[in-house]
Amino acid sequence: MKKTLLLVLLLITFGLNTILKADDDFTNAIVKAKTSLKTALDKYDEKEMIKARGQFERILQLKKNTWLVNYYLALCDYHIAVTAMESKDNEKIKKYTQSGLELIGKSLLDRDNFADTYVLKLSLDYNRFQYEMDKMQSIIADVTTDEENAKKYDPTNPRLYLVKGVATFYTPAAFGGGVDKAQPLLEKSVELFGLIKNSDVTLPDWGEETAYAYMALCMLDQDKLTEAKAFLDKGLAINPNSKMLTGYVKKEYDDKVK
Amino acid sequence: MKLLSTALLVLLFSAKVFAADSTATGVIKISGKITNEENKPVSGANLVLEGTIDGATSDEKGMYEFETEKTGTYKLLVTAMDYTNHMQEINLAAGMNMTLDIKLKKSEVRTEEILVTASSFTSGENSKVTLTPLEIVRIPGANADLYRALTTFPGSNQVDEGSRITVRGGDPNEVVTILDLATLYNPFIFDNSYNTSSFSTVDPWSLKGINFTSGGFSAKYGNALSAVLDLKSYEIPTSTGMFAILGIGAGGLSGVYNHKGKFGGSFSVSQTYLKPFFDLNGISQDYSKIPTATGFGGTLAYKFGETGYMKVYGDYSGDKIGIRNTSPSYDGFFNSESHNYFGSYKMSFSPSSGSMFNAGASFSLYDRKSNYGILDTKSKDYYAKGRADLTVQVSDKTDINTGVEYEYLENHIEGIVPDNSYNLKLTAPSRSLDTTANSGRLGVYAETQMRLTDKFFAITGVRSDYHTLSKKISFDPRLSLGYQVSKYNVFRAAVGLYHQYPVPNDYLRALDNNLDAQEAIHYILGYEYNKEGDIVFRVEGYYKDYKNLVALDYNDFRYKSMGSGFAKGIDVFLKYKYENKFTGWISYAYSDSKRRQYDATTQTSSDYDITHNMSFTGSYNVTDAINVGLSYRISTGKPYTPVVSSLFDAAQNVYIPTYGEKNSDRFPTYTRADISVQYITSLMNRFCVMFVAFNNVFDTKNLYQYNYNYDYSQKIDVRSNNIRIVWFGIGLQI
Repeated sequence: MKKTLLLVLLLITFGLNTILKADDDFTNAIVKAKTSLKTALDKYDEKEMIKARGQFERILQLKKNTWLVNYYLALCDYHIAVTAMESKDNEKIKKYTQSGLELIGKSLLDRDNFADTYVLKLSLDYNRFQYEMDKMQSIIADVTTDEENAKKYDPTNPRLYLVKGVATFYTPAAFGGGVDKAQPLLEKSVELFGLIKNSDVTLPDWGEETAYAYMALCMLDQDKLTEAKAFLDKGLAINPNSKMLTGYVKKEYDDKVK
Repeated sequence: MKLLSTALLVLLFSAKVFAADSTATGVIKISGKITNEENKPVSGANLVLEGTIDGATSDEKGMYEFETEKTGTYKLLVTAMDYTNHMQEINLAAGMNMTLDIKLKKSEVRTEEILVTASSFTSGENSKVTLTPLEIVRIPGANADLYRALTTFPGSNQVDEGSRITVRGGDPNEVVTILDLATLYNPFIFDNSYNTSSFSTVDPWSLKGINFTSGGFSAKYGNALSAVLDLKSYEIPTSTGMFAILGIGAGGLSGVYNHKGKFGGSFSVSQTYLKPFFDLNGISQDYSKIPTATGFGGTLAYKFGETGYMKVYGDYSGDKIGIRNTSPSYDGFFNSESHNYFGSYKMSFSPSSGSMFNAGASFSLYDRKSNYGILDTKSKDYYAKGRADLTVQVSDKTDINTGVEYEYLENHIEGIVPDNSYNLKLTAPSRSLDTTANSGRLGVYAETQMRLTDKFFAITGVRSDYHTLSKKISFDPRLSLGYQVSKYNVFRAAVGLYHQYPVPNDYLRALDNNLDAQEAIHYILGYEYNKEGDIVFRVEGYYKDYKNLVALDYNDFRYKSMGSGFAKGIDVFLKYKYENKFTGWISYAYSDSKRRQYDATTQTSSDYDITHNMSFTGSYNVTDAINVGLSYRISTGKPYTPVVSSLFDAAQNVYIPTYGEKNSDRFPTYTRADISVQYITSLMNRFCVMFVAFNNVFDTKNLYQYNYNYDYSQKIDVRSNNIRIVWFGIGLQI
């Protein structure tokens, strides 16, 4: 009896150690890669984003939570595609957006009830407007489905309202967009970010300062300078290194103040 | 106590195992350079020791460097976008410095994307597409009809301004349409109706890929002399939603459904109601019944395994029309009604990596009745087809395709037909008809697609077909070549033998079903400049040598394979796209097509021998929301056979026309201009498109045909019913 108990204890302990070690490796690697991506995004540096992408790609070798790793790879691809928009490099936008959508597809095969995956798919589908306007009808159907799925699995996801708000912010009024329509979505996003209690460091946590940044831009559009400053400060308090806040929103604010 | 100490020992032991797992005995540094086959640095390449997270990403100079504590034999995996994965074994010893330069190979573009053969125009997901689906539906005057859009390409022409097309001087039935694996037997409504343009029943939005080949096509396509329109639909819709269109003459509702990418379906219904459209445009042509058309259909698709799909497709379309026609012997309504049913099943999967198997079966029934004067017929055409194809990628540079198909066609016709086509009076001599003819065809093919070098490709193929009615076998070797001079410049050539068996009804007039397959040899040489589909210039010359065409032997009044002919010409195509602002293209085709076929006694102009044909199509985005399109076409009038005199037949109390040489005269030059405007907006937070179209804006009096008075002494212009019209509507995502 004692021998059996000993054997069971041996197996449990050995297995537990291995699992805990794998968990630690995975968590550490993800946190490190997330930090690299955040730094790259703060600098808005494409080369750094590609390096961060490489870190996530290597984490796939651990063969753990591949749905989450593929999510982050797709997130990197999304941001690289967005940087290509500045240079109007449609070929690059398409390459990275398609790659991101393929990775999202892989992620969904492993886990199809994670709201953030649909939020990211929504962002990538919005990118498609840049290079395949001829499929407008199909893209609109896709983004509608993405939004419905994201709401279904987490109606309180702040990034859903952030992505929708940003898209609405840049959409011409003729197509149902504009600052006035974006503002309620961004307000909702800010409100939901305030309610988040995320204890798992491996999960996505991006976007809060961006929501404040766009709220500041909404206020500037209405010449509400005090409110704009308050949102700008809140954003900077969350991420003082954000190039969007320091390099763009602050400059817009300063220009208005002058 | 003993148990506790043992447990502690176990914990200690586990911890040692845990620590020993990394086999750390010293840091190893690995560095080097990643380049491509042209020795240019590859940046962003990712390196990793398999099973670990140790690795690095190459910088803009292709340099990389990383450290590891792993020792022993490991596989180093290198991945980079646009390059094939590279893996190699390395032996790692503690403390070593390893320099490892790696050369990556560009990933081969799949052959189906790059091996665009001569005379092909493509649409869909291919990056080298000639036209996108949006460009197709925006072509003014095309009414979002795929076939009408194709006639803006050089070499193809409309039949009676409708959706039926002829290619390079050939007959309309020399063009075959394939949807997935099924042949669409008659995908038109208002087909062969008097002075009424036909419309196709194919929805361009449902298509993933369109490949229209006006000559020199692959050995996988059989029983087609002139052209193939190969359509591929989406396996499973990518999204869920519905779209409604409400126009002044027609309305429709379509929907798609996707369930987790595993299961999906689609449906569509459409209905015409032309009374308000006719009233608005003052269309005064006599109709015994306003033309109506109905269509509905749907698909169900299921994904199995990693690569497998199965799909069922069902579709119905029908039309009714009664239109007045005044002929020399009869003044009354031409009435017709047709019902077209189509069903298909398709499955596909990869038996192994680098291979793809497709199989499908389809069935069509085309049920039609028509009457005019004494003529009163009902016909039923049954068409069934089964097909299987296998593609095997034997190397990065070579694909082998092979397949087999069997098709069955049965034509049944019954009713009353006049003894003489010139006398259609209700009292005219006539005979009853009740005949059925059928035939089967078994075809096999094999072809190899080879990229002989990075710049040179060749497709060699051969097919053979056995025809059950004539018991004849045809044998078709085919060759396509392409040489890519530079990134955007390609020369293409094709030569091949093409056969098409006569329709079963032709065999009824032959002795012992002795008709050979009609034959054409295609010779094509062309050049294309294609800058990512934004700027396309193409010029192509062709010669088609026809043999064994069905022709009437006036010695015994039997059909025999004694016809012949040729078609030669030059096609020129220029397309320019400027960002998302403007897309326009100009097509010009010169053609000379002569043949002896059916009742012709010598080689004369073919029915669709259009010497010069030029069209311009342009689409301009005035704002993000407003698009304006313009198209203009000018072409030589099509040939017709004039009546040169007549004789009075007292017994029938009718004049008998005497015809001149077949197709010895031509209609006047054809011109037409169309304009369309689209406004894209949001309605109730849903995508919405409003459109208005003006067809034949200059109200050009193009001719449909010539009629004659009762004794043929006066030739009467019959104007095409495509007069100046306006129509408008709205499409809304639901």
